[in-house]
Amino acid sequence: MAAARGGPCAREIFTTLEYGPVPESHACALAWLDTHNRLLGHYVNGTWLKPEHRNPVPCQDPITGEELASCLQAQAEDVTAAVEAARTAFKTWSQLPGAARAQHLSRLAKTIQKHQQLLWTLESLVTGRAVREVRDGDVPLAQQLLQYHAVQAYAQEKALAGWEPMGVIGLILPTSFSFLDMMWRVCPALAMGCTVVVLVPPALPTPLLLAQLAGELGSFPGILNVVCGPASLGPVLASQPGVQKVAFCGAVEEGRALRRTLAGKGARLGLALGTESLLLLMDSADVDSAVEGVVDAVWSDRSLGGLRLLIQESVWDEAMKRLQARMAKLRSGRGLDGAVDMGARGAAARDLAQSFVDEAQSQGGQVFQAGDVPSDGPFFSPALVSGLPPAAPCAQAEVPWPVVVASPFRTAKEALALANGTPRGGSASVWSERLGQALELGFGLKMGTVWINAHGLRDPAVPTGGCKESGSSWHGGLEGLYEYLWPSGTPSWEPFLCESLNYDTFGLAVPSSLLSGPETGPSPAPPYGLFVGGRFQAPGARSSRPIQDSSGKLHSYVAEGGAKDIQDAVETAHQAAPGWGAQSPGARARLLWALAAALERRKSALASQLESHGVAPMVAKTEVELCVRRLQNWGTRVQDQGQTLQVTGLRGPVLRLREPLGVLAVVCPDEWPLLAFVSLLAPALAHGNAVVLVPSGTYPLSALEVCQDIATLFPAGLVSVVTGDRDHLTRCLALHQDVQALWYFGPAQGSQFVEWASAGNLKSVWVNRGFPRAWDEEVEGAGPELSLHAARTKALWLPMGD
Amino acid sequence: MAAHCRASELDLSWISRVQVNQAAVLRRAEQIQARRSVKKEWQAAWLLKAVTCIDLTTLSGDDTFSNVQRLCYKAKYPIRQDLLKALNMHDKGITTAAVCVYPARVCDAVKALKAAGCSIPVASVATGFPAGQTHLKTRLEEIRLAVEDGATEIDVVINRTLVLTGQWEALYDEISQFRKACGEAHLKTILATGELGSLTNIYKASLVAMMAGSDFIKTSTGKETVNATFPVAIVMLRAIRDFFWKTGNKVGFKPAGGIRTAKESLAWLSLIKEELGDEWLTPDLFRIGASSLLSDIERQIYHHVTGRYAAYHDLPMS
Repeated sequence: MAAARGGPCAREIFTTLEYGPVPESHACALAWLDTHNRLLGHYVNGTWLKPEHRNPVPCQDPITGEELASCLQAQAEDVTAAVEAARTAFKTWSQLPGAARAQHLSRLAKTIQKHQQLLWTLESLVTGRAVREVRDGDVPLAQQLLQYHAVQAYAQEKALAGWEPMGVIGLILPTSFSFLDMMWRVCPALAMGCTVVVLVPPALPTPLLLAQLAGELGSFPGILNVVCGPASLGPVLASQPGVQKVAFCGAVEEGRALRRTLAGKGARLGLALGTESLLLLMDSADVDSAVEGVVDAVWSDRSLGGLRLLIQESVWDEAMKRLQARMAKLRSGRGLDGAVDMGARGAAARDLAQSFVDEAQSQGGQVFQAGDVPSDGPFFSPALVSGLPPAAPCAQAEVPWPVVVASPFRTAKEALALANGTPRGGSASVWSERLGQALELGFGLKMGTVWINAHGLRDPAVPTGGCKESGSSWHGGLEGLYEYLWPSGTPSWEPFLCESLNYDTFGLAVPSSLLSGPETGPSPAPPYGLFVGGRFQAPGARSSRPIQDSSGKLHSYVAEGGAKDIQDAVETAHQAAPGWGAQSPGARARLLWALAAALERRKSALASQLESHGVAPMVAKTEVELCVRRLQNWGTRVQDQGQTLQVTGLRGPVLRLREPLGVLAVVCPDEWPLLAFVSLLAPALAHGNAVVLVPSGTYPLSALEVCQDIATLFPAGLVSVVTGDRDHLTRCLALHQDVQALWYFGPAQGSQFVEWASAGNLKSVWVNRGFPRAWDEEVEGAGPELSLHAARTKALWLPMGD
Repeated sequence: MAAHCRASELDLSWISRVQVNQAAVLRRAEQIQARRSVKKEWQAAWLLKAVTCIDLTTLSGDDTFSNVQRLCYKAKYPIRQDLLKALNMHDKGITTAAVCVYPARVCDAVKALKAAGCSIPVASVATGFPAGQTHLKTRLEEIRLAVEDGATEIDVVINRTLVLTGQWEALYDEISQFRKACGEAHLKTILATGELGSLTNIYKASLVAMMAGSDFIKTSTGKETVNATFPVAIVMLRAIRDFFWKTGNKVGFKPAGGIRTAKESLAWLSLIKEELGDEWLTPDLFRIGASSLLSDIERQIYHHVTGRYAAYHDLPMS
């Protein structure tokens, strides 16, 4: 006991007062690997799958390089087997009462509790992350996730009536992930009745352990299957029959590539991309606490990415001094040491950080590195980069772990502009002791999560996601559940892939379609033009397209819109969007009601227009009446958006805000030319968006008629209606970088193109894939699904205390 | 102990700028205890360091010469000599940093320590301890008398009324007068943080006490309902660091009240190491005010040396 074994003796330590090693035993993790003879396969349908003739990949300790086990790389047929198991399990699992699923998830939580030491040592051993963070943070959270979602499963029949589980969910995880990323997505999917196939990179065995623990519960073996394989199997997983959704988290470029690959394939895609976070430090902040916020954000092994740090110029010196002093106290070391702040993430992560820092230095940035870091092994000292203005080339790249890039700003307004001036929209924190300022920034940041005077807090009940290039999928809270649900009766999708679709030429040129003959419509036709910027104007190309009546004869002409007109519409929409979004839902409702009243006055004119297009008189009358109701309905409904959440372990509320998307483009279906137009316009406006619409191609006139009222009632530019060739306009909108969301209702080919093109700015898209919708029915025409797509969520954390 | 801290001007604009976010400080306090620990040899060495930082204290109404004498001998021989020998620390002169008593017992303590042949300083509480609700004149007189009796460190309590009503100049003046009354003795200023209302007030009071020339700032009397807590300590340590950065003066820190276990004392040491650095880990700049802590540390050392847990009678009482 007293005898020191080789190390310094108490007498020396008494003088130096240094820290010693605090090793956590990982014997149980090794013992678990031994039970598999150090060879891991895949866990499918409650059993281990170790197929022959597969490449083994070594699973190494990222710090010592010691080989711990080998993992078999899956091939396509292994994925097929896993999906098959999940599909079979879905038949029983989805039919269970919520209470039974709840019970099963609670049992899994208990099992995890029993094996928690194995879980945290294995995770820390193979990922190199500090065991303290895994033990005190991740493992308890994993249990909370299961318990929270058990409750959601129990409440599902009542709380989520009208929605049903999608089916088999494919989950693709990147190499640098913690098992929590998997739990965040698996728990809601299982709770809602879906079954899951997880594709994990080989050499990370924790997901396999979790699957084994779930499988050993006995009753429903096939609900959670884990396959180890390269990322190239992602598209294979996505195109398996029965896989209805693929959730991907990882790097932005990988997500973009996957979005393009999966365009038009059967599965929907949910993306959660990027790892960078942001911290805003105002001059009224408690600077010392904000510095701890930086440590939480990037130097404590909680998050996976780096940090962009914006500091008000008046406290720049003070903040940098404190930050540097704090960095000197950081300790890196073996993840399984109980007294380190940071472990190591392997050679790849170190090289990435090194090359970022080198590049920053070569572009004039100053790099400060400090901390107690072992000299051997793949460690990287915490780095603080400054003097890198936004225009420096490497300032645009995502900041890698464990790097902080600090930049100064002058005013709160400028801070907001800088913070929102990146394509990323994940999470941010605001440090300010002035309540008004903190809220102003919290509401103004275009981010999925904003913490006030804290960083990195998380809870199963709080929806977490992002906007812009951070992807638009959610985990946690209500949003996390909707990710795996669709309205009851939604047809499960067959692949609508059109192999021959040429993305380069789709909708590139406008086919000329001149009809000749006398016009059967009112002549002279009203000088509609395009409705852009609040008034009717001539199209840029100065050409028109003919509209046929029901008998195929020339009815009249509408303007032929093009790229220039779309750009004008988007630009004016952006001018109108902030003002409209800042209006209270009540004020927006008043205008929607006013529009409803105006439609009511135009009722007979609109109905007769529809009749001239071949709609039966009774139906035409109903269509107009429904339009009036839709507008009134959405005006009313949007007033009870958002809510306050209370969260374990946090004093103070978390606000769940529903915020406008920005500029929403809508391509309307050909059918129900007026009703579909209004049914889409109303929720979009009600949720505070500015809208650019492409009306029904076959009969756009009734939509233009409505624009006459929009022109008098709504702010200029808020609504624009551009007529023309659908494919061409769709192309312009889908490729537009400054359109935040796109709804497309048209043929399958167009849907496929929209999905492919959305990879550009990763706008959120909602496409019908060629399936018609019953616009006259409540569920499809005005259901909660529209509301879900018309706004995005922000979680605003407001810790309190004095 | 080193030379006195120089008093500096009262800087009200600095005090008005102070911002403390309570929720964030609480989170930091939770983390700091989970992120560092020491084991084995390191633990033994750190525990001995903790011993040398203890102000071994008795502040009871029933103190008499005999128990003060026992306390003084325990201060001189805090750890059983055979245990120290086993750690090869017997020749390091390990004693507690001071003994701390009421003013009326200073003479007893001085006498007992002299008899034990030891130069450990005697600290006396003063200025109407623990409430401080007596006239300034008597409070100052109390300091002078304690110094006369041989106390070389004076633990004064501040006037909480002045903090709660925001009278920073008056507080500065009072502490400056305490400073003067101490003469050559060291001034340790007790903020009684449990009664100051908020962390922001604690930060401000710390700054004022340091500006007025305190050698140490101390959390509490041990008589309030809330005593030395980590959040309070974090705030005071940040104030000490700020003051050092701005003036170059190193002011000491003394948590007191409620620190009873060896494990807690390790956490306090690592808190100082993290927030201020190794240079503060000396009895000149760090003290722990405690009475029962020492016996728990001795038991831990006994266990480290022998591998067995001690019975109460195995270790001499204080």
